[in-house]
Amino acid sequence: MGCAADRPADDARVRADADYRRGIALLAAGKTAAAREALRAAAAAAPIDPALYLPLARACRDRLLVERAAEFYRKFLSAAPTGAGAEAARAELAALGDDVAPLLDEAPPSPPRWPALTLVALVALAAALLSTVAALAWARHRQRGRTLAELAARNPELQPAIAYLVGCLRHELLKHRILAIGEAARALASGAAQSGERQFLLARLYGGEPLRLAWAGHLGAFMRALGPRFNLLRHDPLFRDADRAVATIATTERALRRDEPDAWAQLARAHARLTTLDEALGALTMRLQNTVIDDALLADVVAETQRELGPRAAVDELAVAAVPSGIAVEMYRLDLVLVLKNVVRNALAAAAAGPAPRRVAIDVDVAVEPTGEEIVRVRVRDTNPTALPATAPSTRGLGLVTTALLRVDGSLVVEAGGDGWAKAVVVRLFRALSATAEAA
Amino acid sequence: MKRLLVIEDGDEYVEFARVFLRDFVIAAAQSAAAALAALGENGADALLIDLRFDRAPAEALVGDVGATAARLFAGDELRARRYLADQQGTLILAALRSAGFEQPALFVHDFPPRRMANLQKLYGAVDAVPSLDAGAIRRALAGTR
Repeated sequence: MGCAADRPADDARVRADADYRRGIALLAAGKTAAAREALRAAAAAAPIDPALYLPLARACRDRLLVERAAEFYRKFLSAAPTGAGAEAARAELAALGDDVAPLLDEAPPSPPRWPALTLVALVALAAALLSTVAALAWARHRQRGRTLAELAARNPELQPAIAYLVGCLRHELLKHRILAIGEAARALASGAAQSGERQFLLARLYGGEPLRLAWAGHLGAFMRALGPRFNLLRHDPLFRDADRAVATIATTERALRRDEPDAWAQLARAHARLTTLDEALGALTMRLQNTVIDDALLADVVAETQRELGPRAAVDELAVAAVPSGIAVEMYRLDLVLVLKNVVRNALAAAAAGPAPRRVAIDVDVAVEPTGEEIVRVRVRDTNPTALPATAPSTRGLGLVTTALLRVDGSLVVEAGGDGWAKAVVVRLFRALSATAEAA
Repeated sequence: MKRLLVIEDGDEYVEFARVFLRDFVIAAAQSAAAALAALGENGADALLIDLRFDRAPAEALVGDVGATAARLFAGDELRARRYLADQQGTLILAALRSAGFEQPALFVHDFPPRRMANLQKLYGAVDAVPSLDAGAIRRALAGTR
């Protein structure tokens, strides 16, 4: 191509040319982020060879960047209106559509060569546009993919709020108003219903607060807690399906009252969708709320605390009793580590500042309650005789610890230390008793 | 017909049972004291017990608020009261067993298996179904689940 022959053959130009070609190839392959980097590097080194506008235009066209493609076709034709590829470029530009074809008419028939600076600016602009397109695409992908479960996994600080909201939704709406009507719905659909079943079902679905309002109220609570940018209906297919199911139930009332067979079938499908949501939410809650206390976790807590305290944690003996088996507790890991580190930190600092022998011991036990629940006690004993208030030891970060414990109905108490110990600070937590909690 | 004593703080379970469990004679009690009285007077073949009694007055709940607060909640009586209400069904069962009533008991709750096993160790014939499903309730009460 003629314009290529005028290029100065310096090293920068050669490198830039290679980068332009690489960028175009990457763009054609759909790797927009890498293409952006290559084109940016090329533009910083030297202006683009106008011959490359044609492959660049084609790559943009293939990525559906129609306006960018039209612009590069025009630049190619401006630089070489009669050269090789001009006819094909003209046809391809025309094929982009009527909206962009008139751009061809605006192109001067034989323009002067563009100053290098202008070319650099244009390529930089193209790179910036590609960058924007890529960023928007990535942002949309992230938004689309962020279900409630994914949001919880990425934002541990939201987990308590999510678990609470899910609990309210399941208990207040799904359990009593939806799941409870399954049997009645099946009986009515098959014609085997006994008297009273229809009344029971209609009262649960259509008595009291309209179902749609109650559902919207729960969704609104999620939005208020998680932020307006997180829209359950847009981001989570389970909630989207459930929303349709609630709408179906709301709009089939008249048909159900008229006993139309299609309405019973619709209700059965809606009930199944909401049951699926309930099961998924139950599993999510369990995943969020459980953390296993084992030897590794205690070792991590001790090591991190010793590292933070340095010489202030120097004690004569630190004994950590083996945890009999992994014990899952109903607490977010972030919170559990915060609580245990706080208690261990205070015990180490107290023992180190007290009389010899300076000792700290940690052990874990479990007791069954009359409710069938199990209480896990993490006991941290030390040899400093300075008394602590029985239920509210003055510790750094106590507010955070108290808040974390309150969320899970846990507690922190000070007890007598027993044989050879000045005192024991005990963290009490409920054990997570699900079959999967400790297998995780 | 077998007699089923429904123990709950409201009337949702009774309402359900009277519609869907017509093969039982349904009796109702809204507290441990009422349940003990009903069992003493007429007996029952089985118990259907709600877990949460959050609408029951505090004085009707089984459990010592002060002792529970000291033992589990660092002296916080509000939390202890709520806990007793939330777990009341199991505590009522404990009271019934202490009084010598050994009827099979059924909860409508999705207890984790380990907790279910603990309840069975503590109270003998105990089972649970996850939702108000008459077929499942009937099978559980018949011991054929």
